[in-house]
Formats: sequence, C-alpha cells, structure tokens
Amino acid sequence: MSEVIVVTSGKGGVGKSTTTANLGVGLAMRGKKVVLIDTDTGLRNLDLLLGLENRIMYDLIDVVEGRVEIKKALVRHKKYENLQLLPTSQVKDKSAVNPADLMALCDELRKEYDFVIIDCPAGIEQGFQTAIAGADTAIVVTMPEVSAVRDADKIIGELGRSEKDNIKLIINRIRPAMVDSGEMMDMDDINDILAIKCIGQVPDDIKVVTSANRGEPVVGESDSQAGKAYENIVGRLLGEDIPFMEFEKEGFFKRLKKAFKF
Amino acid sequence: MSRDLVTIKGGKDGFRLLVDSSASMEEIEAEIKKKLDENPGFFPEGTKFELEVADLDRSVKKGINQILSQHGLGVELSAKKDPPPVSDEQSQMPPQYFIQHDGNVEAQEMTVVEHTVRGGEEVTSQGSVLVMGNVNPGAQIIAGGSIDVRGTCRGMVHAGAWGDISAVVIADRLMPTQIRIANMIARSPDIMEKSDFAERASIKDGQIIIEPIER
Repeated sequence: MSEVIVVTSGKGGVGKSTTTANLGVGLAMRGKKVVLIDTDTGLRNLDLLLGLENRIMYDLIDVVEGRVEIKKALVRHKKYENLQLLPTSQVKDKSAVNPADLMALCDELRKEYDFVIIDCPAGIEQGFQTAIAGADTAIVVTMPEVSAVRDADKIIGELGRSEKDNIKLIINRIRPAMVDSGEMMDMDDINDILAIKCIGQVPDDIKVVTSANRGEPVVGESDSQAGKAYENIVGRLLGEDIPFMEFEKEGFFKRLKKAFKF
Repeated sequence: MSRDLVTIKGGKDGFRLLVDSSASMEEIEAEIKKKLDENPGFFPEGTKFELEVADLDRSVKKGINQILSQHGLGVELSAKKDPPPVSDEQSQMPPQYFIQHDGNVEAQEMTVVEHTVRGGEEVTSQGSVLVMGNVNPGAQIIAGGSIDVRGTCRGMVHAGAWGDISAVVIADRLMPTQIRIANMIARSPDIMEKSDFAERASIKDGQIIIEPIER
C-alpha cells in the first residue's frame, strides 16, 4: 500500500521543506522506500536540506517534458539508499509543470515506492494546485501564530474544494515557554479552529537550523527534541499510536515542585 | 417601543407575519399598514395569506383579514389545527401569530451549511443561513435574513444584509471579528473574551446588542 502525501501550509517559512526532509529520512530509516518530490520550482531547496545539491543531474521539468526517464532524474540519498529525491529546476517557474503531469508522475512512482512525499510551494496559486493534484493525503504544517493558522485554515478549505479529504496537521516551531506564559497560541486553540487530526507537535529547536545547514535532517538525533518529535510523526504515519511528548521547558526540580503542588 | 408589534419575516415556506397578541386591534392595524406601505408592491395583488391560528380572537382575525384585503391580499386558514406544544421557555414569551405568504414568488430560503466555514470562504444567501459547524476567522457569512451558527463564530457575519433590521445572529459561542445587521456594524473588542454560552445579537434601540440565550 503506497501513499502519496503532499506537505503544504499556505504561508511560507513554517517548515514545509524541513518537515518533508525529516519525514522522508525518518521513513527511510524505518526501511520504507521513499521518494521526495520538490515542486517549489524556481525556489528549490529540499536538495539543500538533504545535502544533495551537488548530485543533481536532471530535474522534475526534464522528466515532465520527456527529456529523461524518471529513474535518471532521481537523486539517491547519501546514507539511505531507499530514499530518493526528485529535485525541481531552479531556473524555470511554476508554469512549467501542470497538475496532470504531476498526477501521472505520482501514479508512476507509486508503483515502486511505499511513500511519495511532495513538498508544496507556499501560496494557493498554480504551484499549490499542481502539488496537491496527485496526493492521497495532505499534511498541513502550521505554527502557533495567528497568520500561520489563518493561512492553514484557508489551505484546508482549498484542499476540501479539491476533494482532498484526508488532511492531517503538524504544528511546528512551538515554543513551550511562550505557550505557557500565554504569549503563544496553545495547541487547543489551534486544534479548535482548524479541527483536523493533529499528528505532530514539533518544538522550535536550534538543532533544526544547524542540521539544515549541514544537510542532515534532525530526525533520529536523540539529543534533539525536534528530532524526537519528527520520529514520533513517522511512527504515527505508519499507524502507531504514540502519545504527544511533553516538552522539556523547565528544570527537573521545578517540575518536581509543580508535581507536588497539585 | 422596544420591539415591533408586527414583524414580517421570511420562513422556510414563505413570508411570515409575527403579531404580538398583547397589541390592540388598532395598533396591529396601524402597524400592518405601515409595513405594507413601506414596501408597496412587495406582495403581488390577490395573494392569499395563510394564517396559523392559536387562540387568536375571532374579531382580531377578521380585522387582519380586512386590512389585508384592503391591500388586495387575503388570509387563508392554516391546515394545521393545533399549534405545536409549547415548552416552558416558550410559554414565558408573549405568544405570536403567523401569517404566511402563500405564493413562493418572494419566498425566502434557508441556506444550510453542513461544514465549518473556513478563512477565505464566503457564504451569501438571500434568505437565512444555518451553519452546522464553526465560522472561522477570515470567513464571511452574508444573509438577507438571520444567521445561526451551531458552533463557534469567529468570522464576519452580516445578517439582514438587504435592510432587514429584525434579523439576528445567533451562535453557540459568538466571538466574531465583526457583526453587521442591516446597515449597522459592531466590531469585536480588541481583546476577545471566550464566551461559554450561546448568544444572540440583534438591533435594539438603534444599536446592535448581544444577549445570552438558552438553547
């Protein structure tokens, strides 16, 4: 049973590409055959997060225009050979691919891979419509911020209009201390507004930035909270029942004190 | 006067005329005349009205019939013999009587939205709107009649958009960015409070007021 997943958000900068890279590596670590497709033509950067830029020979545009076979354009991951990336072009723009092209491509890749994960561009225009065309499942990434939640809401509406009913939510870049002090929207508020199944709560973690610069997604790093959160999401995607983690936001003694107070 | 003695409302099957039974025949007559003169030619001539009867006095019934026939309209007795059973809450309210517009020329419809209305979506209806879900921030509901949200209302709602000042907005949790009724606009406080009970917004004494209701 293979699944085509689109990772989308509406707003830029909430962590679509980071999420795509981490889920891809996470699923590959579990032994799944995974292909990642970057559809952010003209602003590609999924290859950077995976550290694969120097290995790119062909891209998505070459494939849809029939210049090369899909197999030739796929870039294999350095560490996990069951993880492949189909990068896009940095010089063309979104009009170079249309929804029918991507649908055909997904159906082709679906035969050979367990997971096809599509990194969607920001916005709700053509690029978005193309990216979601072939997907069975949509993962909406948002942040505890009014503008990000507003855009996620809009995106969920758009997905509904495109008859994508299997929609899941990841809340990214949470700052537990700010949530606690009431300066950041809490998870209940977000779930109340968006009202779709939440499969992940990822804390804001400095390691995400450093690992992106190194080209090694944070998933699987045991000393990283975000890495653990992504691992949990991978588990949930595979149908495991994993409770949401408690964020470490205060010292052990402070928590102990709190525990005795109640 | 805090409330109208006679109110014309669009129902599922057509227009209804709500009459306050505490009003005298003269008051009702004046009020109906006023309403009909406000919108001359609104009801096609010769239209029969259906009258739902509870314990309306025979003379009052006759009187209403007379007023309407002067305007080329008529009254028809409702097929319904008995009024629906009155619950405790309803019995505390003054009883009301309904005259329904028989033809469906101007019949008002109710739009039922069976899902959450999300940001960027707009629901527009000539009649009333019932939302079985939330109205999220950034969404808009524009209704000729009233708006009922069975959930949390956080978007922009405009009831009575074509001038019906008797339109109301009801929500389980009413915390919209803006409420508009007819030509009046009320905006939310800058710091939104969470409401824990159903509320109704309506126009009273020339301004939009919000009051808790039970449902």
